[in-house]
Amino acid sequence: MIAATVLALAAAVLVRAQGQPPQQEERVRQIPAGRPGPTETDPKVINLPVPRMHDGRPDLTGPWVGGGSDADIEREGGLKPGELPLLPWAVELRAKREKATYEEPYIYCLPMSVPRVNPYPWKFVMGYTAKGLTHIYILHETGDAGAHRVVYMDGRTHPDPDRLFPTWWGHSIGRWDGDTLVIDTVGYNDKFWFDARGTPHTEQLHTIERWTRVNNGTLVNNFTLDDPGAFSRPVQLRFEARLAAAGIDLMEYICTENNQLGIAGGYRLNTDGRLEK
Amino acid sequence: MNRILGLAAAAIASVSLTVPALAHHGFDTEYDAKKRVALSGVVTKIEWTNPHMHIYIDVADPAGTVTNWNMEMASPNTVQRQGWGRNTLLPGDKVVFEGYGGKVVESHGALSRIAKADTPDKPLFIQGGPEAKREGFPGQ
Repeated sequence: MIAATVLALAAAVLVRAQGQPPQQEERVRQIPAGRPGPTETDPKVINLPVPRMHDGRPDLTGPWVGGGSDADIEREGGLKPGELPLLPWAVELRAKREKATYEEPYIYCLPMSVPRVNPYPWKFVMGYTAKGLTHIYILHETGDAGAHRVVYMDGRTHPDPDRLFPTWWGHSIGRWDGDTLVIDTVGYNDKFWFDARGTPHTEQLHTIERWTRVNNGTLVNNFTLDDPGAFSRPVQLRFEARLAAAGIDLMEYICTENNQLGIAGGYRLNTDGRLEK
Repeated sequence: MNRILGLAAAAIASVSLTVPALAHHGFDTEYDAKKRVALSGVVTKIEWTNPHMHIYIDVADPAGTVTNWNMEMASPNTVQRQGWGRNTLLPGDKVVFEGYGGKVVESHGALSRIAKADTPDKPLFIQGGPEAKREGFPGQ
Protein backbone atom coordinates (compact mmCIF):
# COMPACT_ATOMS: atom_id res chain seq x y z
CA MET A 1 0.00 0.00 0.00
CA ILE A 2 2.67 2.45 1.00
CA ALA A 3 4.69 1.61 -2.06
CA ALA A 4 1.71 2.21 -4.27
CA THR A 5 1.05 5.55 -2.61
CA VAL A 6 4.62 6.65 -3.04
CA LEU A 7 4.61 5.49 -6.63
CA ALA A 8 1.49 7.50 -7.32
CA LEU A 9 3.05 10.60 -5.84
CA ALA A 10 6.17 10.05 -7.87
CA ALA A 11 4.10 9.66 -11.00
CA ALA A 12 2.33 12.96 -10.38
CA VAL A 13 5.59 14.80 -9.92
CA LEU A 14 7.22 13.32 -12.96
CA VAL A 15 4.22 13.99 -15.15
CA ARG A 16 4.25 17.58 -14.01
CA ALA A 17 7.96 17.89 -14.54
CA GLN A 18 8.21 16.32 -17.93
CA GLY A 19 4.72 16.25 -19.37
CA GLN A 20 4.92 12.54 -20.09
CA PRO A 21 3.87 9.44 -18.22
CA PRO A 22 6.73 8.14 -16.07
CA GLN A 23 7.81 4.61 -15.53
CA GLN A 24 6.98 3.53 -12.03
CA GLU A 25 10.33 1.96 -11.29
CA GLU A 26 11.93 5.38 -11.40
CA ARG A 27 10.58 5.93 -7.94
CA VAL A 28 12.98 3.43 -6.46
CA ARG A 29 15.84 4.00 -8.86
CA GLN A 30 16.63 7.43 -7.50
CA ILE A 31 18.08 8.55 -4.25
CA PRO A 32 16.48 11.59 -2.60
CA ALA A 33 18.11 14.61 -4.12
CA GLY A 34 16.06 17.67 -3.36
CA ARG A 35 14.29 19.47 -6.11
CA PRO A 36 15.77 19.68 -9.58
CA GLY A 37 17.67 22.87 -10.22
CA PRO A 38 15.28 25.82 -10.04
CA THR A 39 14.18 27.18 -13.40
CA GLU A 40 12.56 30.41 -14.49
CA THR A 41 8.79 30.24 -14.07
CA ASP A 42 7.65 33.77 -14.92
CA PRO A 43 5.97 33.65 -18.38
CA LYS A 44 6.94 37.27 -18.97
CA VAL A 45 10.61 36.39 -18.59
CA ILE A 46 10.32 33.11 -20.48
CA ASN A 47 8.66 34.77 -23.46
CA LEU A 48 11.07 37.65 -23.82
CA PRO A 49 12.90 37.86 -27.17
CA VAL A 50 16.02 35.77 -27.61
CA PRO A 51 19.02 37.82 -26.42
CA ARG A 52 21.82 38.21 -28.93
CA MET A 53 25.57 38.59 -28.88
CA HIS A 54 27.41 41.56 -30.38
CA ASP A 55 27.72 39.69 -33.70
CA GLY A 56 23.99 39.02 -33.88
CA ARG A 57 24.19 35.36 -32.93
CA PRO A 58 21.73 34.09 -30.33
CA ASP A 59 23.16 34.11 -26.82
CA LEU A 60 22.98 30.46 -25.80
CA THR A 61 24.83 30.90 -22.50
CA GLY A 62 22.04 30.05 -20.05
CA PRO A 63 22.51 28.55 -17.47
CA TRP A 64 20.05 25.87 -18.48
CA VAL A 65 18.41 22.96 -16.71
CA GLY A 66 17.50 19.84 -18.65
CA GLY A 67 17.63 19.40 -22.40
CA GLY A 68 18.71 15.78 -22.59
CA SER A 69 18.16 12.26 -21.36
CA ASP A 70 18.66 11.10 -17.78
CA ALA A 71 16.31 8.38 -16.61
CA ASP A 72 15.14 6.92 -19.94
CA ILE A 73 16.31 8.32 -23.27
CA GLU A 74 13.46 6.68 -25.14
CA ARG A 75 10.69 8.33 -23.14
CA GLU A 76 12.46 11.61 -22.47
CA GLY A 77 13.32 11.90 -26.16
CA GLY A 78 9.65 11.74 -27.09
CA LEU A 79 9.29 8.11 -28.13
CA LYS A 80 6.86 5.48 -26.95
CA PRO A 81 8.07 2.31 -25.21
CA GLY A 82 9.74 0.04 -27.72
CA GLU A 83 10.16 2.69 -30.42
CA LEU A 84 13.89 3.13 -29.88
CA PRO A 85 15.36 0.98 -32.69
CA LEU A 86 17.90 -0.91 -30.61
CA LEU A 87 19.48 -4.01 -32.09
CA PRO A 88 18.65 -7.25 -30.23
CA TRP A 89 22.00 -7.42 -28.44
CA ALA A 90 21.51 -3.86 -27.20
CA VAL A 91 18.02 -4.63 -25.93
CA GLU A 92 19.45 -7.59 -24.08
CA LEU A 93 22.28 -5.54 -22.59
CA ARG A 94 19.91 -2.80 -21.46
CA ALA A 95 17.74 -5.39 -19.73
CA LYS A 96 20.79 -6.72 -17.88
CA ARG A 97 21.86 -3.23 -16.88
CA GLU A 98 18.42 -2.42 -15.53
CA LYS A 99 19.01 -5.13 -12.96
CA ALA A 100 22.56 -3.98 -12.23
CA THR A 101 22.25 -0.25 -11.67
CA TYR A 102 25.36 -0.32 -9.50
CA GLU A 103 27.38 -0.85 -12.70
CA GLU A 104 26.43 2.55 -14.08
CA PRO A 105 29.62 4.55 -14.77
CA TYR A 106 27.96 7.83 -13.82
CA ILE A 107 27.54 6.77 -10.21
CA TYR A 108 31.31 6.25 -10.00
CA CYS A 109 31.63 9.95 -10.85
CA LEU A 110 32.53 9.36 -14.49
CA PRO A 111 31.18 11.73 -17.17
CA MET A 112 27.55 11.39 -18.18
CA SER A 113 28.29 12.40 -21.80
CA VAL A 114 25.84 13.12 -24.64
CA PRO A 115 22.88 13.55 -24.68
CA ARG A 116 22.55 13.03 -20.96
CA VAL A 117 21.78 16.07 -18.81
CA ASN A 118 21.19 15.61 -15.10
CA PRO A 119 18.84 18.03 -13.30
CA TYR A 120 21.51 20.56 -12.41
CA PRO A 121 22.53 23.79 -14.18
CA TRP A 122 24.79 23.76 -17.22
CA LYS A 123 25.82 26.35 -19.77
CA PHE A 124 27.28 27.03 -23.17
CA VAL A 125 30.33 29.25 -22.70
CA MET A 126 30.67 31.06 -26.00
CA GLY A 127 34.39 31.61 -26.48
CA TYR A 128 35.04 34.70 -28.58
CA THR A 129 38.56 35.63 -29.61
CA ALA A 130 39.94 38.16 -32.10
CA LYS A 131 38.90 35.64 -34.74
CA GLY A 132 35.31 35.56 -33.56
CA LEU A 133 33.49 32.65 -31.95
CA THR A 134 36.15 29.95 -32.26
CA HIS A 135 35.17 27.57 -29.44
CA ILE A 136 32.13 26.79 -27.31
CA TYR A 137 32.73 25.09 -23.98
CA ILE A 138 29.89 23.15 -22.41
CA LEU A 139 30.08 23.08 -18.63
CA HIS A 140 27.79 21.09 -16.35
CA GLU A 141 27.64 21.62 -12.62
CA THR A 142 27.63 17.86 -12.22
CA GLY A 143 28.35 15.16 -14.75
CA ASP A 144 31.54 16.47 -16.31
CA ALA A 145 33.75 14.64 -13.82
CA GLY A 146 36.24 17.48 -13.88
CA ALA A 147 36.43 17.59 -17.66
CA HIS A 148 34.85 20.07 -20.05
CA ARG A 149 33.31 19.50 -23.43
CA VAL A 150 34.75 21.51 -26.33
CA VAL A 151 32.88 22.36 -29.50
CA TYR A 152 35.23 23.65 -32.21
CA MET A 153 33.62 26.55 -34.07
CA ASP A 154 36.68 27.47 -36.12
CA GLY A 155 35.81 25.51 -39.21
CA ARG A 156 38.00 22.49 -38.58
CA THR A 157 36.80 19.02 -39.52
CA HIS A 158 36.87 15.79 -37.57
CA PRO A 159 40.27 14.07 -37.42
CA ASP A 160 41.13 11.27 -39.79
CA PRO A 161 39.89 7.94 -38.42
CA ASP A 162 43.44 6.92 -37.52
CA ARG A 163 43.72 10.01 -35.31
CA LEU A 164 40.26 9.75 -33.80
CA PHE A 165 40.58 8.16 -30.38
CA PRO A 166 37.59 7.09 -28.30
CA THR A 167 36.86 9.59 -25.53
CA TRP A 168 34.02 10.32 -23.12
CA TRP A 169 32.88 13.49 -24.90
CA GLY A 170 34.05 12.65 -28.41
CA HIS A 171 35.21 15.19 -30.99
CA SER A 172 32.68 17.98 -31.57
CA ILE A 173 32.57 20.52 -34.39
CA GLY A 174 29.91 23.21 -34.53
CA ARG A 175 28.39 25.60 -37.03
CA TRP A 176 25.41 27.89 -37.28
CA ASP A 177 22.38 27.06 -39.39
CA GLY A 178 20.57 30.38 -39.14
CA ASP A 179 19.92 30.80 -35.42
CA THR A 180 20.44 27.10 -34.70
CA LEU A 181 23.74 25.81 -33.32
CA VAL A 182 24.52 22.48 -34.97
CA ILE A 183 27.03 20.24 -33.17
CA ASP A 184 28.36 17.17 -34.94
CA THR A 185 30.21 14.68 -32.73
CA VAL A 186 32.09 11.43 -33.37
CA GLY A 187 34.84 9.63 -31.50
CA TYR A 188 32.86 8.61 -28.43
CA ASN A 189 33.89 5.70 -26.29
CA ASP A 190 31.29 3.02 -25.55
CA LYS A 191 31.52 3.27 -21.77
CA PHE A 192 28.84 5.75 -20.76
CA TRP A 193 25.16 4.96 -20.53
CA PHE A 194 22.58 7.17 -22.23
CA ASP A 195 20.38 6.94 -19.14
CA ALA A 196 19.87 5.24 -15.81
CA ARG A 197 18.21 2.32 -17.65
CA GLY A 198 21.53 1.53 -19.25
CA THR A 199 20.64 2.17 -22.89
CA PRO A 200 23.89 1.24 -24.66
CA HIS A 201 25.82 2.40 -27.71
CA THR A 202 29.08 1.61 -29.49
CA GLU A 203 32.14 3.56 -30.62
CA GLN A 204 30.35 4.00 -33.96
CA LEU A 205 28.07 6.55 -32.29
CA HIS A 206 27.59 9.76 -34.27
CA THR A 207 25.39 12.50 -32.85
CA ILE A 208 24.03 15.71 -34.33
CA GLU A 209 22.58 18.22 -31.90
CA ARG A 210 20.53 21.12 -33.21
CA TRP A 211 20.15 23.67 -30.41
CA THR A 212 17.61 26.45 -30.94
CA ARG A 213 16.71 29.07 -28.35
CA VAL A 214 13.06 29.48 -29.27
CA ASN A 215 12.45 32.19 -26.68
CA ASN A 216 14.30 33.67 -23.73
CA GLY A 217 13.44 30.78 -21.43
CA THR A 218 13.46 27.72 -23.71
CA LEU A 219 16.23 25.91 -25.56
CA VAL A 220 15.25 23.03 -27.85
CA ASN A 221 17.64 20.19 -28.64
CA ASN A 222 16.65 18.31 -31.79
CA PHE A 223 18.91 15.33 -31.51
CA THR A 224 19.93 12.82 -34.16
CA LEU A 225 21.38 9.58 -32.83
CA ASP A 226 23.15 7.40 -35.37
CA ASP A 227 24.94 4.27 -34.23
CA PRO A 228 24.82 1.34 -36.66
CA GLY A 229 26.58 -0.77 -34.04
CA ALA A 230 23.65 -0.65 -31.62
CA PHE A 231 20.68 0.76 -33.58
CA SER A 232 18.97 -0.52 -36.72
CA ARG A 233 18.57 3.03 -38.10
CA PRO A 234 19.24 6.65 -37.10
CA VAL A 235 16.69 7.98 -34.67
CA GLN A 236 15.41 11.50 -34.06
CA LEU A 237 14.79 12.67 -30.49
CA ARG A 238 13.72 15.98 -29.01
CA PHE A 239 14.62 17.47 -25.65
CA GLU A 240 13.91 20.83 -24.10
CA ALA A 241 16.02 22.82 -21.66
CA ARG A 242 14.66 25.59 -19.47
CA LEU A 243 16.44 28.74 -18.41
CA ALA A 244 17.71 28.62 -14.84
CA ALA A 245 16.07 31.01 -12.41
CA ALA A 246 17.70 34.37 -11.76
CA GLY A 247 20.62 34.02 -9.40
CA ILE A 248 21.30 30.38 -10.25
CA ASP A 249 24.78 29.68 -11.54
CA LEU A 250 27.09 26.70 -11.62
CA MET A 251 28.66 25.77 -8.30
CA GLU A 252 31.66 23.64 -7.40
CA TYR A 253 31.04 19.90 -7.48
CA ILE A 254 33.88 17.48 -6.78
CA CYS A 255 32.07 14.21 -7.24
CA THR A 256 34.67 11.82 -5.89
CA GLU A 257 35.06 13.65 -2.60
CA ASN A 258 32.89 11.38 -0.44
CA ASN A 259 31.10 8.89 -2.64
CA GLN A 260 29.70 6.29 -0.22
CA LEU A 261 28.12 4.35 -3.04
CA GLY A 262 27.20 0.80 -2.16
CA ILE A 263 27.83 0.78 1.57
CA ALA A 264 24.19 0.79 2.61
CA GLY A 265 23.47 -1.99 0.15
CA GLY A 266 26.21 -4.25 1.44
CA TYR A 267 28.44 -3.96 -1.62
CA ARG A 268 32.20 -3.71 -1.61
CA LEU A 269 34.73 -2.66 -4.19
CA ASN A 270 36.38 -5.47 -6.13
CA THR A 271 39.84 -5.36 -7.68
CA ASP A 272 38.40 -3.66 -10.77
CA GLY A 273 37.13 -0.81 -8.64
CA ARG A 274 33.53 -1.90 -9.13
CA LEU A 275 30.93 -2.93 -6.63
CA GLU A 276 30.18 -6.53 -5.86
CA LYS A 277 28.10 -8.24 -3.23
CA MET B 1 10.40 11.06 22.51
CA ASN B 2 12.38 8.59 20.57
CA ARG B 3 10.37 6.43 18.28
CA ILE B 4 10.92 3.96 15.53
CA LEU B 5 8.11 3.34 13.15
CA GLY B 6 8.29 0.10 11.28
CA LEU B 7 6.64 -0.65 8.01
CA ALA B 8 3.26 -1.38 9.55
CA ALA B 9 3.20 1.93 11.37
CA ALA B 10 4.48 3.81 8.38
CA ALA B 11 1.76 2.33 6.23
CA ILE B 12 -0.86 4.20 8.17
CA ALA B 13 0.97 7.49 8.00
CA SER B 14 -0.82 9.51 5.40
CA VAL B 15 1.45 12.53 5.35
CA SER B 16 5.08 13.26 4.79
CA LEU B 17 5.57 10.65 2.10
CA THR B 18 8.24 12.27 0.05
CA VAL B 19 9.33 11.68 -3.48
CA PRO B 20 12.91 11.24 -4.53
CA ALA B 21 13.88 13.34 -7.49
CA LEU B 22 16.43 12.68 -10.19
CA ALA B 23 19.85 12.47 -8.68
CA HIS B 24 23.40 11.38 -8.83
CA HIS B 25 22.90 7.70 -8.29
CA GLY B 26 20.36 4.99 -8.04
CA PHE B 27 18.22 4.33 -5.04
CA ASP B 28 17.58 0.63 -5.30
CA THR B 29 21.22 -0.40 -5.18
CA GLU B 30 21.40 0.69 -1.59
CA TYR B 31 18.10 1.68 -0.07
CA ASP B 32 14.86 -0.13 0.56
CA ALA B 33 11.65 1.74 -0.23
CA LYS B 34 9.87 -0.57 2.23
CA LYS B 35 12.17 0.40 5.11
CA ARG B 36 10.44 3.67 5.81
CA VAL B 37 11.73 5.20 9.05
CA ALA B 38 10.70 8.14 11.21
CA LEU B 39 13.11 8.83 14.05
CA SER B 40 14.40 11.47 16.42
CA GLY B 41 17.87 12.03 17.78
CA VAL B 42 20.84 14.32 18.17
CA VAL B 43 23.04 15.46 15.29
CA THR B 44 26.67 14.40 15.73
CA LYS B 45 28.22 15.40 12.40
CA ILE B 46 27.34 17.14 9.14
CA GLU B 47 29.43 16.45 6.06
CA TRP B 48 29.19 19.16 3.39
CA THR B 49 30.62 16.80 0.80
CA ASN B 50 30.02 15.63 -2.77
CA PRO B 51 28.40 13.87 -4.37
CA HIS B 52 25.96 14.03 -1.47
CA MET B 53 25.88 15.46 2.02
CA HIS B 54 25.63 13.13 4.98
CA ILE B 55 24.14 13.88 8.38
CA TYR B 56 25.02 11.62 11.30
CA ILE B 57 22.44 11.39 14.07
CA ASP B 58 22.52 9.51 17.37
CA VAL B 59 19.21 7.72 17.87
CA ALA B 60 18.35 5.90 21.11
CA ASP B 61 15.90 3.03 21.09
CA PRO B 62 13.45 2.48 23.96
CA ALA B 63 16.07 0.36 25.77
CA GLY B 64 18.55 3.21 25.58
CA THR B 65 20.84 1.67 23.00
CA VAL B 66 22.23 4.42 20.79
CA THR B 67 22.76 3.95 17.07
CA ASN B 68 24.53 6.54 14.95
CA TRP B 69 22.46 6.88 11.76
CA ASN B 70 24.22 8.03 8.61
CA MET B 71 21.61 9.75 6.46
CA GLU B 72 22.40 10.67 2.88
CA MET B 73 21.06 13.95 1.53
CA ALA B 74 21.35 15.79 -1.76
CA SER B 75 24.47 17.56 -3.01
CA PRO B 76 25.71 20.53 -0.96
CA ASN B 77 24.76 22.73 -3.90
CA THR B 78 21.16 21.56 -3.85
CA VAL B 79 20.95 22.01 -0.10
CA GLN B 80 22.40 25.51 -0.33
CA ARG B 81 19.77 26.30 -2.94
CA GLN B 82 17.16 25.23 -0.42
CA GLY B 83 18.40 28.09 1.71
CA TRP B 84 20.80 26.38 4.10
CA GLY B 85 23.69 28.19 5.71
CA ARG B 86 26.64 26.76 7.59
CA ASN B 87 24.74 27.15 10.88
CA THR B 88 21.31 25.92 9.81
CA LEU B 89 21.93 22.62 11.53
CA LEU B 90 24.83 21.88 13.86
CA PRO B 91 26.14 19.00 15.95
CA GLY B 92 24.18 18.87 19.18
CA ASP B 93 20.88 19.90 17.59
CA LYS B 94 17.94 17.69 18.43
CA VAL B 95 16.07 16.67 15.30
CA VAL B 96 13.20 14.59 13.95
CA PHE B 97 13.76 13.01 10.58
CA GLU B 98 12.32 10.59 8.05
CA GLY B 99 13.80 8.50 5.28
CA TYR B 100 14.53 5.02 4.01
CA GLY B 101 16.85 2.49 5.60
CA GLY B 102 19.76 0.82 3.84
CA LYS B 103 19.15 -2.61 2.33
CA VAL B 104 21.91 -4.23 4.35
CA VAL B 105 23.20 -1.52 6.68
CA GLU B 106 19.85 -0.28 7.89
CA SER B 107 21.23 2.72 9.78
CA HIS B 108 22.87 3.99 6.56
CA GLY B 109 19.79 5.59 5.09
CA ALA B 110 18.44 8.07 2.60
CA LEU B 111 17.04 11.20 4.23
CA SER B 112 13.74 12.51 2.99
CA ARG B 113 12.86 15.11 5.64
CA ILE B 114 14.46 16.65 8.70
CA ALA B 115 13.38 19.31 11.20
CA LYS B 116 14.54 20.53 14.58
CA ALA B 117 12.74 18.69 17.37
CA ASP B 118 11.18 21.85 18.80
CA THR B 119 9.82 22.89 15.39
CA PRO B 120 8.85 19.59 13.74
CA ASP B 121 6.44 21.27 11.36
CA LYS B 122 9.17 23.44 9.86
CA PRO B 123 11.40 21.08 7.87
CA LEU B 124 14.90 22.25 7.08
CA PHE B 125 15.33 19.83 4.21
CA ILE B 126 12.85 17.96 2.16
CA GLN B 127 13.37 16.13 -1.04
CA GLY B 128 11.55 17.00 -4.23
CA GLY B 129 7.87 16.64 -4.87
CA PRO B 130 4.59 18.27 -3.91
CA GLU B 131 5.55 18.22 -0.24
CA ALA B 132 8.31 20.72 -0.90
CA LYS B 133 5.87 23.15 -2.48
CA ARG B 134 3.20 22.58 0.15
CA GLU B 135 5.66 23.23 2.94
CA GLY B 136 6.71 26.53 1.48
CA PHE B 137 10.11 25.81 0.01
CA PRO B 138 11.20 28.48 -2.43
CA GLY B 139 11.61 27.93 -6.14
CA GLN B 140 9.99 25.01 -7.92
